[in-house]
Amino acid sequence: MSASPAIRSQFEGRSPADVKAPVRIAVKNLNFYYGSFHGLKDINLDFRDRQVTALIGPSGCGKSTLLRTFNRIYSLYPEQRAEGEILLDGQNVLDSKIDLNELRSRVGMVFQKPTPFPMSIYDNVAFGLRLYEKLPKSELDGRVEESLRKAALWDEVKDKLKQSGTGLSGGQQQRLCIARTVAQRPEVILFDEPTSALDPISTGRIEELIEQLRAEFTIVIVTHNMQQAARISQFTAFMYLGELIEFDATTKIFMNPAKRQTQDYITGRFG
Amino acid sequence: MDASNPIATAGRAPTASRVRSGRRIADRVLILASTIATLLGIIVLGSILLMLIVEGVKGFTPALFTAPTPGPGSEGGGIANAILGSLIMTLLGILIATPVGLMAGTFLAEYGRTSKLADIIRFLNDVLLSAPSILIGLFVYTLMVRPMGTYSGWAGAVALAIIATPVIVRTTEDMLRLVPGPMREAGAALGAPRSLVIRAVTWRAASAGIVTGIILALARIAGETAPLLFTALNNNSWFNANLLGGVPNLPVMIYQFALSPYPNWQSLAWSGALLITVTILALSVVARFVIKDQRAR
Amino acid sequence: MTALTQTLTVARESAVARIAPSKTGDRLFQGAAYASALFVLMVLAGILGSIIYGAWPAFSEFGFGFLTSSAWNIGTEQFGALPAVIGTVAAAMLALLIGVPISLGIAVYLTQLCPGWARKPVAMTIELLASVPSIIYGMWGLFVFAPLFARFVQVPVSNLVEGLPIVGTILYARIPSGVGVLTAGIILAIMIVPFVASITRDMLDQIPTVLRESAYGIGCTTWEVVRHVLVPQASVSIIGAIMLGLGRALGETMAVTFVIGNANRLSASIFDPGSTIASRIANEFNEADGLQLSSLMALGCLLFIITFVVLIIARLLVRRTKVA
Repeated sequence: MSASPAIRSQFEGRSPADVKAPVRIAVKNLNFYYGSFHGLKDINLDFRDRQVTALIGPSGCGKSTLLRTFNRIYSLYPEQRAEGEILLDGQNVLDSKIDLNELRSRVGMVFQKPTPFPMSIYDNVAFGLRLYEKLPKSELDGRVEESLRKAALWDEVKDKLKQSGTGLSGGQQQRLCIARTVAQRPEVILFDEPTSALDPISTGRIEELIEQLRAEFTIVIVTHNMQQAARISQFTAFMYLGELIEFDATTKIFMNPAKRQTQDYITGRFG
Repeated sequence: MDASNPIATAGRAPTASRVRSGRRIADRVLILASTIATLLGIIVLGSILLMLIVEGVKGFTPALFTAPTPGPGSEGGGIANAILGSLIMTLLGILIATPVGLMAGTFLAEYGRTSKLADIIRFLNDVLLSAPSILIGLFVYTLMVRPMGTYSGWAGAVALAIIATPVIVRTTEDMLRLVPGPMREAGAALGAPRSLVIRAVTWRAASAGIVTGIILALARIAGETAPLLFTALNNNSWFNANLLGGVPNLPVMIYQFALSPYPNWQSLAWSGALLITVTILALSVVARFVIKDQRAR
Repeated sequence: MTALTQTLTVARESAVARIAPSKTGDRLFQGAAYASALFVLMVLAGILGSIIYGAWPAFSEFGFGFLTSSAWNIGTEQFGALPAVIGTVAAAMLALLIGVPISLGIAVYLTQLCPGWARKPVAMTIELLASVPSIIYGMWGLFVFAPLFARFVQVPVSNLVEGLPIVGTILYARIPSGVGVLTAGIILAIMIVPFVASITRDMLDQIPTVLRESAYGIGCTTWEVVRHVLVPQASVSIIGAIMLGLGRALGETMAVTFVIGNANRLSASIFDPGSTIASRIANEFNEADGLQLSSLMALGCLLFIITFVVLIIARLLVRRTKVA
């Protein structure tokens, strides 16, 4: 069973998966519960430095749940809990003694729907910066500009930094959220279906941006769009019903998956 | 329309057409009755405003806003002391109620959420929202007036604050709940402590609605009379700066003057009534437009 | 082992010097929110506590007889709650009888009949009725409504029913001044209309359009849609809204004080003056002393119990459907 030439051609000229890159996040025997519902079952998985790892699978398979454990955003909801280990640079983030706010400043997150705060574009980007670094004004300005440039938004907003972030278009808002995340210089950036609320052109820009951000950050992206996973990721994990079915280099998953379920999913036979 | 249509009526059994006409009569009666009911509501509001304007406008002289209330049976004077007293007590009331209401609403929407305690408080707050204001007057009388041995503007302000608080709690919670969850998650995902996310993000996102709640509370307490009867009472002169002793205020002044036998007092009551009603209706209209703006976002 | 050292180096490379914000502010904020929420509970407890405290001398002096006595004699210090309680209930019931049909009519008009352009202004006019201070309703009732009511209703009706059994008692005005229990009921009806109408309208609006359209689609008239589709769907919350209106009517003070006539005796005619708990308190409290003051507090205590039972039932009914 080998992939069609169309799929094969997608991967030409792409940067290949670097299997020797150091491990940034190591997930060990992770189980997750929503109340009594067992949402993730015994997940073991490594995420490598400066690689894009895509989490794919049908709705409800647990891919977003897994993503939401890395910065423990699930801790906002008392009925949700995780067991096992998630080692971020060797430190277990599930440890109860860990400072959640500091963790979240190291692991950034971009959400499905753009979430610009009701404040100016400048303040949106500076929001996270002001939390953890006490910078003089000039340096702050520099970091805001740098972040907006990294998010490919600077040219569009440089003349209206004082205007409200909520006035931007959907795609711009999402890039603003990326700039806001990048500004904190996190080690890992989590993307939770970042383009599902956007039009195809905005989607294309975000995808390019993720490709560029890979030079600096370890990236994990949840997507329901398999083409997107194929286009932008080096590694892909396929999940189904709370279990990790298959994890490998993206080329391998899409061209020559080892498991029957993976094959069925990527060829569109279910999901 | 159907009745004049020969095709519709022709060839129907007599019983069928009788059922039809019974149905139609019921329908006509409903339409007529509900239209009349609505007209009635509009007429009442119109007639109240007309009454206030007819009786109140003639008293609108500069003296109304500069002179204190006159003694019984004497001529001239104004309601300046009552206006000032009302302003001070209403604003003090809102100043007390706003932080408490804002924080309690924040607790319900952000911290307590679905917990048992939050459910109980939410429920009792709703009950307090429609509690008879005269009972709040009795409460503050026992709490402040009796121990202090004197009516005071402070007691009046506290009574008004107790009436305003549940309004602010309710609107604050409702408005905070309209802020989408991912907004809070995005704040938390940047490593911001919860209180900062609330202050810098959710409050800001809900600000128009929260302000509306405060305006509505203001409109609610500005015309409250019953709780002031036993707390601030009234007097016919300027009040002292420590707000002890009776503090004149529009509602109680209107109550006493309107039912008095002196034409001059009655006229002042009408002017005060017009002033206070127009102010409150204006506040309510403003609040409605602000809230629409919030919901549209 | 090598893999671990490798990861650690990477970590050091990109690490930013981070100063964690202090946790104290966070805790203080949460504590303040918690305390404010508890304040609401305390106020309610305080209201009940202070009124019971104030009412205690009267309760211990008159005991259960306070409820059944219709005396109100300041000279002999004999006080009973019966006339005021009956007046309160009678005025509130009359308010419901008159106000509820009007409210439902308005809600039906706004949701089913009103042309689109007029919906908002009409709804706003009705809602503004809720903002008018109660003292203004009192003035309107006393100076505008009561004279008209005396001339066009009390006098003709009294002449008509004079001497008749039952109706001749209930609807006979000894002094047709326009004020009385029925006038209070009518003014209260107007005051509860905006509340009941707007809750009912919201409930009717929440019913899915599909349901309404499918009923119209099989040829139902507006009446039938309202009667068989909308009212059953919203009935629980409409009853809740009515109870909420009842709660308001029971405790309303100033408007009633203006138009009820403030008579201490009990009369069988709804055209005659009477008094409610709230109007009696408003009238006498400031001049009262000793046992009279305590008796007024005891009246307040009864009012507290009656209104809170009604309000709690109302809120339970309105809430249950809102969640569903």
